Amino acid sequence: MKKKFSMEKYSRIFILLLFIIVLTVIRPKSFPTVNNISNVLWSISVVGILVSGSIFVMLLGGIDLSVGSLMGLSAVVTVITIRNYDYSNKGVILGITLALFVGIAAGALHGFLVMTFHVPAFLVTFATQSIYLGISMVLTNNKILSCLEPKLFTSIGLGRIGPFTFPIYFMILIALLSFFILNKTVLGRHIYAVGGNPEASRISGISVKKITLISYITSGLTAAIGGIVLASMTQQGMASTGSGYDTEVITAAVIGGVSLVGGAGTIQGAIVGAMLVGLLNNGMNLMNVPSTNQGLVKGLVIICAVALDIMQKNEKKVHLPFSKKKKAGGNV
Amino acid sequence: MNKNTIRKLVSAGLLLILILIFTISSDYFLTLGNFMEIFRDASVVGIIGIGVTMVILTAGIDLSTGSIMALVGMTMANIYRYTLLPIWVMILAGLLVGTLAGLFNGVIITKFSLPEFIATLSTMSIFRALTYIISIKQNGLITSQALKARSFILLGKSVGGIYYVIIVFVLLAVIGQVILKYTRFGTNLYAVGSNIKAAQLSGINTDRTRALAYVITGFCAGIASVFMTARLQSTTALLGEGMEFNVIAAVVVGGCSLAGGRGDIVGTLIGAIFMATLDNGIYKFQINTAYQLIIKGIIIICVVVFDSWYNNFMDEASRNKKLKGVGE
Repeated sequence: MKKKFSMEKYSRIFILLLFIIVLTVIRPKSFPTVNNISNVLWSISVVGILVSGSIFVMLLGGIDLSVGSLMGLSAVVTVITIRNYDYSNKGVILGITLALFVGIAAGALHGFLVMTFHVPAFLVTFATQSIYLGISMVLTNNKILSCLEPKLFTSIGLGRIGPFTFPIYFMILIALLSFFILNKTVLGRHIYAVGGNPEASRISGISVKKITLISYITSGLTAAIGGIVLASMTQQGMASTGSGYDTEVITAAVIGGVSLVGGAGTIQGAIVGAMLVGLLNNGMNLMNVPSTNQGLVKGLVIICAVALDIMQKNEKKVHLPFSKKKKAGGNV
Repeated sequence: MNKNTIRKLVSAGLLLILILIFTISSDYFLTLGNFMEIFRDASVVGIIGIGVTMVILTAGIDLSTGSIMALVGMTMANIYRYTLLPIWVMILAGLLVGTLAGLFNGVIITKFSLPEFIATLSTMSIFRALTYIISIKQNGLITSQALKARSFILLGKSVGGIYYVIIVFVLLAVIGQVILKYTRFGTNLYAVGSNIKAAQLSGINTDRTRALAYVITGFCAGIASVFMTARLQSTTALLGEGMEFNVIAAVVVGGCSLAGGRGDIVGTLIGAIFMATLDNGIYKFQINTAYQLIIKGIIIICVVVFDSWYNNFMDEASRNKKLKGVGE
């Protein structure tokens, strides 16, 4: 049993290495270049930041579909504040603070709706996704707002220490923080407990409502951070900035072995998942697959990953008297 | 009065209030022509809604309907452009593709036990990508393809002021309601949605019931696509984008419970007209389309929250009644 576990643990890293080797072999001129690698790391870093927070929600068996449009809203709020303060450093700090508050408020809203009314998480975030997109469109008048100054803002996404840009360090920092919370604190243990069995957790005295609220707030907060980083990388604020990132985050988590019914999955796995998604995207770009057609591969990858995950779990669960089966969406 | 009837009256009441607001504030709203337009828009959403209602009754969800519409439209465009097959063959081929897409959803959900939500989220991007792959390109650029066969664009027209799509919708809605209420499959759908374990133990083939709901949804999305492309007289790879949102909103407003087991086609019909009226009113008021997104999102949340509260309330009421009965 124990041996099999570790095989599973490292299988994703094997796939990752295999991916890198295959890409190096078939695209020896364009893949292993400094430019390309830093491109890959860029895209991985944003997804990595997002997944570090969204994993809290997924561990509860919930889901956050609003990540993409919340990123857009936070990017727009940041850029508009900076522009209103004449591109001053004060504007940057104020803009970022505001954007983070927007993220926390949005997360609190999701958490509140899910925990008080037991509304399926996917439906709540499905609806708020359209609300946030609408608000960003109203704020920007549906235009692209560019923001090339000041240096304090642009360096968030573009500044570098050594060979790597800042977002990668942000990702590592946030992922480590997330790892610490999930593995070393009471809160983390409670999140796994509630995700595994909410009823048992409630009976054993865990405040399920508090855990739910905190998890959704974390997801909103990382979405806001992702939006700020993306705004700085692209040096603009646009309502549709984050579109598509919600699926990207779910793909990363699922490939990384996070179970969508809750209770299972690790942050390290999710980060490896984000790397795989980043490499997959990059590989398809290098092979000149048009971006519009890439959805085919990504969709199939999600289906295969989830199907394999479920098959493995069914094999293990055969001996258990009660196999947990939840309805889609989950109540928590 | 039954709990579901009251819930339906609430949706109908909301619709009436909405119509009243728009009538008071605009002279153009309450005209026969405008109402036909609303019904026409509601029909496309409603046709897909018939299938999605069945899916949601089983406690599932289908996010891929918009992409299925695009795939069906592009299949027909290819046949129209590159073959000399008659129009009815083209339409049948389109419907077949829609049905197969639904079958694919059904198979991966029941055979590989994927969560409905994640399965259809993936097929949403798969079907959309397939549409792009088969889309007609000129000089390497994806273009919209005209579908101007006379007998085809006739489907987008009206007879005696009533659009064909409305007639088809009403017909399908009646069939759907009959299936739900008077056939074994319909009863099975409710049974699976209310308690899948109990349904399994009482000998219902739950996998087949659930898969069939997705197949029907695919077929319905195909029909919706036929009428949509006939009306537009062309198709693009972007056809039906965001449609799944409108459909789910309509079904939810109509009183279908996402936990499964409650709701019917009549509710979905009211929901579809509600969403179309809202769109129409917002358009007539010349409000920025961005507000449309905000208003729709808020309405969905309000309805879902209301539903949850209402369910608790009614459950408690019926429990109290039962307790009283015991006391007597």
